[in-house]
Parts: sequence; structure tokens; C-alpha cells
Amino acid sequence: MRRETQNILLVLLGGALLKISFTGTYLRYVKPSHQWLLITAGAIMVLLALLSIGRDLINNRQAAAVDGHEGHTHSSTGAWLLLLPVLAVFLVAPPALGADSVTRAATTNRAVDDGRAVFPPLPAGDVIALPLSDFSARAAWDEGNSLNDRSIKLTGFVVHDGSAAYIARLAIGCCAADAFPIKVRLDDNPDATALPDDTWIEAVVSLKPGTATRENDYVPAAAALELREIPQPEDPYEH
Amino acid sequence: MSTVVGDVETPSPPRRRFKITSLEVLCGLLVLALLGQNWLTGILDVPAIRTGATVFVAVCTQALPFLVLGVLISGAIAAFLSADALRRVLPKRQAVAVPVAGVAGVALPTCECAAVPVARRLIVQGAPSSVALAFLLAAPAVNPVVLVATAVAFPGEPGMVAARFAGSMATALAMGWLWARFGKAEWFAERVMRKLPEQTDGRSRWLVFAETARHDLVDAGGFLVIGGLTAAALNVVVPRSWINTLGDQIVLGIIVMAVLAVVLALCSEADAFVAASLSALPLLPRLVFLVVGPAIDVKLFSLQAGTFGRSFAIRFAPLTFVVAVLCAVAAGLIFLGGVR
Repeated sequence: MRRETQNILLVLLGGALLKISFTGTYLRYVKPSHQWLLITAGAIMVLLALLSIGRDLINNRQAAAVDGHEGHTHSSTGAWLLLLPVLAVFLVAPPALGADSVTRAATTNRAVDDGRAVFPPLPAGDVIALPLSDFSARAAWDEGNSLNDRSIKLTGFVVHDGSAAYIARLAIGCCAADAFPIKVRLDDNPDATALPDDTWIEAVVSLKPGTATRENDYVPAAAALELREIPQPEDPYEH
Repeated sequence: MSTVVGDVETPSPPRRRFKITSLEVLCGLLVLALLGQNWLTGILDVPAIRTGATVFVAVCTQALPFLVLGVLISGAIAAFLSADALRRVLPKRQAVAVPVAGVAGVALPTCECAAVPVARRLIVQGAPSSVALAFLLAAPAVNPVVLVATAVAFPGEPGMVAARFAGSMATALAMGWLWARFGKAEWFAERVMRKLPEQTDGRSRWLVFAETARHDLVDAGGFLVIGGLTAAALNVVVPRSWINTLGDQIVLGIIVMAVLAVVLALCSEADAFVAASLSALPLLPRLVFLVVGPAIDVKLFSLQAGTFGRSFAIRFAPLTFVVAVLCAVAAGLIFLGGVR
């Protein structure tokens, strides 16, 4: 492959990284703190390519005066593959992981070996918002039963398993490759069953105590008091 | 696909009126892709493929910044660290130099992708290959960032951090020493050994820096993409329900977790959280997962094959796998006090 082509590929790839980090699409793939890494990496790629293009132009103008720099042209057929992420980002822009990943995964709900503990008390208030990970951890392990008789607002998407409907969200540690699902079963609400998979909702729920057990992988059940469809949040994952 | 190392682009022999170069091919591909965009998004609209595509882009976006860091360090070594200086820093005897490289790995918190170009550059600059390989295995596994992440993921288990450190360090040292004793230089692709002319004046040093970094990036980037594709495919295809059926079968558990570490190709800063979530398993198989993952996985194998050559990778990777599993089990028995 010629140097020019390599440089163009690098500009495209660097551009792809810059694009997803400025438009916010990067949140579908990596954790938020990765943004500056992506911007730096994208900028460096574009810079390296531009430097090389500039040097080639100058060298051409000085037209074979001296047999210029090292000028080695390695064939790197593998470099063609750099086109794949470029096309994926610019043309396809794969969506955030959703219901498919939840059903595909085996274990759910980040279960600690022995997580029994007294969790800090919840703030006072009528309805309070909690991340799904916090909710399911408290449901499974809280000795202080802080969730009992409280109305909690959860944000996630709908997933069905047989006749049951769940509100679910994926948690990522670093990037979407290590995502694992957290889910809570939504009971006593026909609306939840009627919504299609991957619909983002805000649900006000009330935990059914004692439903998160080892047998069901610590997936708690809750009465869904209220459901509201919402657009997909900017950051689709929990961390 | 990974045999592309070493050959040099030949000019197309007979002079034609209209020469098709890679530049025209690239333009053609881009136009085709633009025209076929609807068709392309159409075939990707199957849930499994969509998930795979997301994981693919995620692995690439996550790893590329670290690869860029790696090629910058590699460029800096090529431009500013002369072979003489390197020889002065490293102990003369390889058996002593290997642990020095292992400890150097602690100080450089990088993902495994960054370590590959750096290790190659160390070899080019005249470091013994055993030393560079010990660094390659140590850097992503025993750096402070990874150890802190492990401590956070296993709150009640300080032994896990010690065991991970010991297992990974032992893997790096054992592989370094094994390579010093049995490794052969001819397994490396020819161009790995090719030296750049030593530069002395300041301006051309910076040119070497930029050109080496750019060139390594193009080289390694393609192989990172292959690794990302493989990891994405396996991520979708391999049923995670394997893990739930393992229960207390310890030997099977160790084997499955070691294989899983290879096929999932997680970044070493995140794998501890994944391991922590697999609570159905005892600690030892999960430790194996943490030691094997940063040492060898599909993404890394692809990068190694591209950087060092295929005949190197098909020897080094399986050996690393076996050594890592053994070191992890030994470290687990010592620091975790058994299977648990």
C-alpha cells in the first residue's frame, strides 16, 4: 500500500475517533472518562498523517534532488482493515447494546460473593431516583432493608423473558465488550408487558422484599406503579 | 492474512497508460460503501450482528488510544534511545535483565496493545528479545492501575491483588527466561530486526520519531482490527451459560476461564470487574482469568502475529497460555490459600 493511501486511512480513522467523541456517540462504546483519550488519540493520528503528507509534498517539490530520507515503502496489506472501523463509524454507527445483550448474557446483576451489609440510608422524599445497579444491590444485600415501602424511580429499557417483563440496563467497566446486564422484574403492570423490547422507560417501582435470591441470580421483582416512555439517555450505560 | 510481513511493494512491471494504485482502490471502496450504505445497514439489522458490530467498534475505540500511546513510546525509543544507551541501562546477563524488564512494566501503566509496539522497538534497538518479551507480558498486567482496579473489584479479598501480581509477574519472568534459553531469532519476521539508521542531529531525530510512530500505527492498527473482529464475533457466539454449569468442577472451571480470557479479549483494567461478577465460580478460576487475559488473547495474538511475524506468534502464544495458567494456579494456591 502506498504511503498516501496509508495517510488517508489514518486521517479517516483519526477523524472517526474525533467525530464520535464530539457528537457524544462514543458513549455507546466506552465509558465517559475515555472522551479525552479519544480526542487526543484522534488528533495525534491526524497530525502524524498530515506531517507525513506534508513531508512527501516537500520532498516531491525538491524533486529527487538528493535521494531523500529513508523512503521505505512497506507493504502493509493489514492496513486495509483500518477501513472497517472507519466505515462502521461513519456509515453504520452501531447502536448502544440493548435487549439482545441482556438475553445473551448468562449471569446478571453484579453479585458480590457475600455482599450482606448495611447500606447508607436513602435520602428522604416521595420518589427518589436510583441507578439499577444500586437498586438491585440493595434489594439483594441490604440488611437495613432501606428499599422497603419506598417508591424508586428506575431508568432502563424493556426486556422480555417468556411472559415476564424486565427493566434492564447494561453496566460497563471499560468498554461495551465487558458490559453486563442488571435487571429488575416489573410486576403487576400490563403496560410493561405490552411495550416492545428496547423501549426506554422511566419506571416508578416498589420492591417486593425477599425476591432477589440465589436461585434467580439475585434479580429482584418490583411492583411497577408508573411507567413513562423516554428517549434513550445520552449515556446508555451505568458504570 | 497475517503473512503480509516482510515483503516489499513491487512497482507494477509493464508501464500501463492508467495505473491502478492503492489510492484508486481506496477511493473506489469509499464510493461503493457510500452507495451501498442502505444495503449495509440493512444486513446489519439483525440483533446478533448489531450487538457484534457495537462490540467491534467498542473494542477498537477502547484500544486505539492505547495503541497510539504505544507507537509514540516506540517512536521515542527509536529516535532518542540509542542502542548504546540501552545497553548501558540493562544488566549484561540476560537472566538478570529479565526481572529488570518485569519491574519496568510496573512503572508503565498501559493496555496490552501499547506494549506490543514498544517491545518490538526495544528489540530493534538491541535489547535481548527475552527482555523485551518479559516487558511485553509484565506491562499490561502488573501496573498500578490494573492492581487498583482489582482491589476495587474484589473488596473483601486483598489476597486477590497479591495473587494477580505474583501470577502475572511470574508469567512474565518465566517466559523471559524460557525465551532466553530456547528462543530463536529466526522465528521473528525479518523486518522486526531491521534497524533504522542512527540519527544524530536534532531535526532528523524528530522526523524518525514521527515516521516510526506513523508507520507502527498503520502496521499494528490493521491487526488490532482483526483482533477486534474476532473478539466481537466470539463475544456474540460463545454462550456465557457455560459458566453457570461449571459450579464446583475446579479443573474444568480453570480451563474454561482461561479459554474465556483468550476469546473475550477484555482490557486489563476492566477484566477484574467481569471476574468479580462471575460469583458462581470459586476464586481460583477467576484468578486464572485475570492472569491469562493480559498475557494472551485473540486481539493480542493478532497484534503479535502482525508485529513479530506469524512463526513467532504460533510458538509464543500457546506457550504463554500454558505458563500463565500454571503461574496463576501456583499463585492462587499460595496467596488465596487454596481453591476457595
